[in-house]
Amino acid sequence: MIIRGGAIGPPPFCFNGGSKRDMTSAPILDIRDIHKDYGSYQALKGVSLSVRQGEFIALVGPSGCGKTTLLKQIAGFEDATSGTISIDGRDMAGVPAAHRPTSMVFQKLALFPHMTVAENIGFPLKLRKVAQGEIAARVNEMLTLMQLKPIYLDRFPRALSGGEQQRVALARSMISSPKLLLLDEPLSALDVKLKKVLQSELKRLHRSVGVTFVHVTHDLEEAMMLADRICVMRAGHILQLGEPADIYYRPADAFVAGFIGETNLFPVEITSRAKGRVRYSAGSFDDASGELPEALVAEAAQGAALMNVRPELIRRIGPEDKVDCRVTARVTEVFTKGGTVQYRAHTSQGMDLAVEIQGTSRLPMEVGEEVHLGWNKKDIWVLPGGEP
Amino acid sequence: MEQGVGKSWRDPELLWKALPSVLLQTTCFVAPLVMTFLLTFQRTRDFQLRWTWDLATWTDVFSKPHYWTILGHTLVMALACVAICLVLAFPIAYGLATRFKTLENEIKILVTFAFITDATLKTFGWVLFLDKKGAANYLLTGLGFPPEMVSFLFTDWATLLGMVYNLLPFAIFTLYLSIDSIDRNLIFAAYDAGASKWRAHWEVTLPLCKPGIFAGSVLIFLLGVGVFLEPKVLGGGTSPMSAELIRQTFETRVNWPLGAALTFVLMVVSVFLVLLFSRVLGMRRSGFGA
Repeated sequence: MIIRGGAIGPPPFCFNGGSKRDMTSAPILDIRDIHKDYGSYQALKGVSLSVRQGEFIALVGPSGCGKTTLLKQIAGFEDATSGTISIDGRDMAGVPAAHRPTSMVFQKLALFPHMTVAENIGFPLKLRKVAQGEIAARVNEMLTLMQLKPIYLDRFPRALSGGEQQRVALARSMISSPKLLLLDEPLSALDVKLKKVLQSELKRLHRSVGVTFVHVTHDLEEAMMLADRICVMRAGHILQLGEPADIYYRPADAFVAGFIGETNLFPVEITSRAKGRVRYSAGSFDDASGELPEALVAEAAQGAALMNVRPELIRRIGPEDKVDCRVTARVTEVFTKGGTVQYRAHTSQGMDLAVEIQGTSRLPMEVGEEVHLGWNKKDIWVLPGGEP
Repeated sequence: MEQGVGKSWRDPELLWKALPSVLLQTTCFVAPLVMTFLLTFQRTRDFQLRWTWDLATWTDVFSKPHYWTILGHTLVMALACVAICLVLAFPIAYGLATRFKTLENEIKILVTFAFITDATLKTFGWVLFLDKKGAANYLLTGLGFPPEMVSFLFTDWATLLGMVYNLLPFAIFTLYLSIDSIDRNLIFAAYDAGASKWRAHWEVTLPLCKPGIFAGSVLIFLLGVGVFLEPKVLGGGTSPMSAELIRQTFETRVNWPLGAALTFVLMVVSVFLVLLFSRVLGMRRSGFGA
């Protein structure tokens, strides 16, 4: 079980690549109030987003949330219904995809099947009328950067493995030195092991070239691993934009909390907010009421709210142990997940809980067992209740 | 794939499985061909076939330029038809495959209808239209043009028009299928890489249509080499093409050995041209399933 020391704030493990970016310069990508309608269907309903030079930003959300649509607007494949997109301070309205300083890595890679690997990678330079010799030199440079073997150059893409094709696609996108690299779920079709390899590859690439990455994915773990900031979208809106730890520990609403990984949401009633303290009453766990520092409560949380407690923050306690919040529950299911064990437990208040405990815990639980579970207030976050 | 080919000769099970197909091919395709070939070494006298086994027919074929003029004329007509059909069909197929996606089923039904409507009917329809006193001239005169503007019925141009008209659906259909199967993202990837619309067309769409272009061309060429209806009805029989010559040799002149020889020459030349075309288009380049 992970017990985090200290108050909410910087998380104990560092998500965002470590490198400090220049926060003061003008954004490389500035999206203002973009709307996109397909007939009567509104795919984007007023999205604004500002991305800093060199940042790795992940757009995540369930399918149909508009993340790919947003990427297409940035790339210039489609025109927005209204709103503006500026790249490096230049308004992109009316600029076709061919003239934008962006480059896309497609979901199915879109490698040209009739061109060799060398022709594929060199294609953007060929279109820019770069001399043959220089193209060859740059292709070789890209090959080294992407750790591809030179023997692949004369092969056709379909003769390559999935991971190699991925590298070729990345090389083709990087060779024209774009200001923005747009990635449309390029890793989604790979098997888990290869995915992990390419994720760290992407991270390494991002660090070494310093290009701004906009990465669309529905895989949250991937977004957490790679991105400096995550932008959670749903039904054409941005729900939350923040650093991975922020999104994970301080989700804006129940949807983000649930999307970003399994969690427990206890209904609570906020009774008063004064002098930095928030009082609440709760019928969903054993303590009838309590008090929290304001820093642990979302500003929008009023009245009916939800207390977000991650499964790994709940631990088994003895009846005498002192914790801030406690609940009695009956264990219904046990799943062993390698290093940790996942439990499902049914509370006496009628809620189903997810609990995750380190496999080496001295207090394992059995199915059917009646247990005391507890968590500390410093680990929690209260977010607005009701359906978002 | 290559290992499979190497293995098949030694695999009795595979041979056994191939037997029905081999039998069918032999009896329906190879045997008639062989018989046609054997026929060229015989002679006819008094409308009777004589088993002579000599080269008289072949000497005849190679000594009379008349046959070769007709063959050349046939090939030129067929090639012209291929070229015109491709040029006309490409924009049509491209439009159908990309712009009218929502009408996909209707379009397929229409193209199929064009296939199954009887060619004889359509060809005679053109006679009514192109005749000196036909619909085209009637309409044009009505619009104030001088009389008999359209007067190319019973010329090679009319034959070509009929051929293009009857064979165009093959080009549209094969090109439509191959354009339709191109992943739209490849076009987007070309734009993204910096290509203009024309450049993306030239570098991506067209090369990826090669299988369709090849299939369509071969179909039209082979069908075009074999037309007899159009030269007869629209061309007025003034400049016969190979198919008509062969028919006459068999039916009117009852010279089967000569007919068989002419058939063979036409077939060999056509197959040679198709192979040449496939080499030119680079159909063997490993970008396509070869």
